[in-house]
Amino acid sequence: MRRPLIGARIRERRRRLGLTQSALAGRVGVSASYLNLIEANKRPIGGALLRRLAVELELAIDELDGAAERGLLADLAELAADPILASLRLDAAAPEELVGRHGAWARALVRLHREYRARGKVIAALSDRLTQDPFLGESVHGLLTHLAAVRSAAEILESVRDLDEAQRSRFVSIIGAESRGLSALAQALAAYFERTLAGTPPTPAEEVDDFLLERNNHFPALERAADALRAAIGGAAPPSTEALSRHLESAFGVRVELRAVGTLPPAAQRRGHWLDEGTGVLTLAYMLPEASRRFVMARLLAERFERGEPIRATLEGSAVLTSDAGRARASAVLAAYLACALLLPYEPFLEAAVHARYDIDFLGVRFGASYEQVCHRLATLRRPGAEGIPWALLRVDPAGFVTKRLPLPHLLLPRYGVACPLWAAYAAFQTPGTTVRQLAAFPTEDRFLFVARAIEKPRPGHGLPRRLLSMMLACDALYADRTIYGEGLDISSAAPAVPVGPSCRLCPRAGCAFRQEEAIAAA
Amino acid sequence: MGTRVLIVEDDRHIIESLSFVLQREGFSVAAALDGEAAMQRLRSDPPDLVILDVMLPRMNGFEVLKALRADAALQAMPVIVLTAKGQKQDRRLAEAIGVEGFMTKPFSNQEVVEAVRRVSAQ
Repeated sequence: MRRPLIGARIRERRRRLGLTQSALAGRVGVSASYLNLIEANKRPIGGALLRRLAVELELAIDELDGAAERGLLADLAELAADPILASLRLDAAAPEELVGRHGAWARALVRLHREYRARGKVIAALSDRLTQDPFLGESVHGLLTHLAAVRSAAEILESVRDLDEAQRSRFVSIIGAESRGLSALAQALAAYFERTLAGTPPTPAEEVDDFLLERNNHFPALERAADALRAAIGGAAPPSTEALSRHLESAFGVRVELRAVGTLPPAAQRRGHWLDEGTGVLTLAYMLPEASRRFVMARLLAERFERGEPIRATLEGSAVLTSDAGRARASAVLAAYLACALLLPYEPFLEAAVHARYDIDFLGVRFGASYEQVCHRLATLRRPGAEGIPWALLRVDPAGFVTKRLPLPHLLLPRYGVACPLWAAYAAFQTPGTTVRQLAAFPTEDRFLFVARAIEKPRPGHGLPRRLLSMMLACDALYADRTIYGEGLDISSAAPAVPVGPSCRLCPRAGCAFRQEEAIAAA
Repeated sequence: MGTRVLIVEDDRHIIESLSFVLQREGFSVAAALDGEAAMQRLRSDPPDLVILDVMLPRMNGFEVLKALRADAALQAMPVIVLTAKGQKQDRRLAEAIGVEGFMTKPFSNQEVVEAVRRVSAQ
């Protein structure tokens, strides 16, 4: 693929500069006929000749040898494989010429194709949303029921000739009452659509959200990369802290030093770690817990491993990551994923999790990981054929901000705003450090086991409040008996459970003492 | 005494109109507002035919239908199912458990009367 591109590029550039073949050949010290062979892609080119040509053509080597173009060619190959183009029988060789001679047009095609696929994803997501939205489901049911009552009473008024006055006014009043219910529902629906359709482009955080959902929060290529990286470090699972630090130095020239937090630059003191790119020193603060130090080192290893290629390749081709900010954010999330996979290897971790009945504290001790890291890893155990319990994950701060979310098909987690105030995620703030479990019953009659704990993050400075984040895992109540958190819980569908909702706006429970906002549809 | 029909439906106005129409056609009508009340009524004073809504409080229509088909004394009871949502899926489920009639809201009174006549004549 490399040669044809270069030949076409050279010819194209030479012509643009107004040089004849023999003039250029003379300047770089080859015969015109040899240059002709190169331009016709019949001779390989590289080394000193390529450098001389680049100088004469006023191009950088990578512009001439076309690393960017190779990526473009791969994109075009993907585009050509799209089933909607199958009947056109596109010439497999033509993209090379197109890229060589009309690069901008090739990029335009690829950009359009990407946009087209992104739109397809949005449409699919919207249609899912319409079929699964609990509010719409309830509303349609309500509309049909009101309508059935109106129709039935109206038909009686219309077709029964011998109604007495009392019967007549009774059926008229039924129609009146049902019509009022119908109007309220119709208005709520109209307001709902007005808000839903006034969509704004997704924020970078939403792009990442969609990306994780699209991939089901499981990345086989990163799991493989983690295994390879762990093998390079020495193979221990989990790798020791010393091995992580040794490998950073031997493979990437990064020296790890432990110091007092005050010696870090002010901006880095909040995090408790700092990488000085100039000196190649990674400073970890003493105050940083052991599990966090391990994670910081693992994440740096993940970023540097194979020059970031596994992460880049995973981001490639995602139609939902459309902005640079979204891609940068997703890249950081994937580095954390790879770090987690390095420290908590899939198979032994799954085995230990099943054996310990998903005891998060036990798993933390066993793998030298924090509570939060274990929760994140549990939510990634989705390898087909070797799946753990499907867990949803929610992380909120005391103000209710959702800072991380991974929903399940029947458990909607709020993307904006807050969930239901009854959820264990919020109750956990009342007793930081303690695990709060909850059997939660939704208005749909779906039941979930919620397991939440408020964890404390290092405090950035004196005089500031405790920094608490609540981590909550949730699984279908059917799986509760496979976890220690379900022990002693009656999980039969008739057993008492906390009557929760998705959020006040979507919750039909009338008279709930915890309600803060009216439901969009009045029941 | 005509055929005895039990209407299981949580919308009181629908019960009122359907009762009125069916009574005029000579049927004797009783009603239950939720699934549990329906089961009690079915066991204590079984009717000749049931009109059963799907979305019901306490015990939904399919649960009632399942319990009914599992009860030796009630399993032959003719049932007409009323539904307002997920119509295709509801119909499949109803057919799988076994029903004599299936109707979607908003139905016409005439459809209900005809279905009740047809099923009660069988």
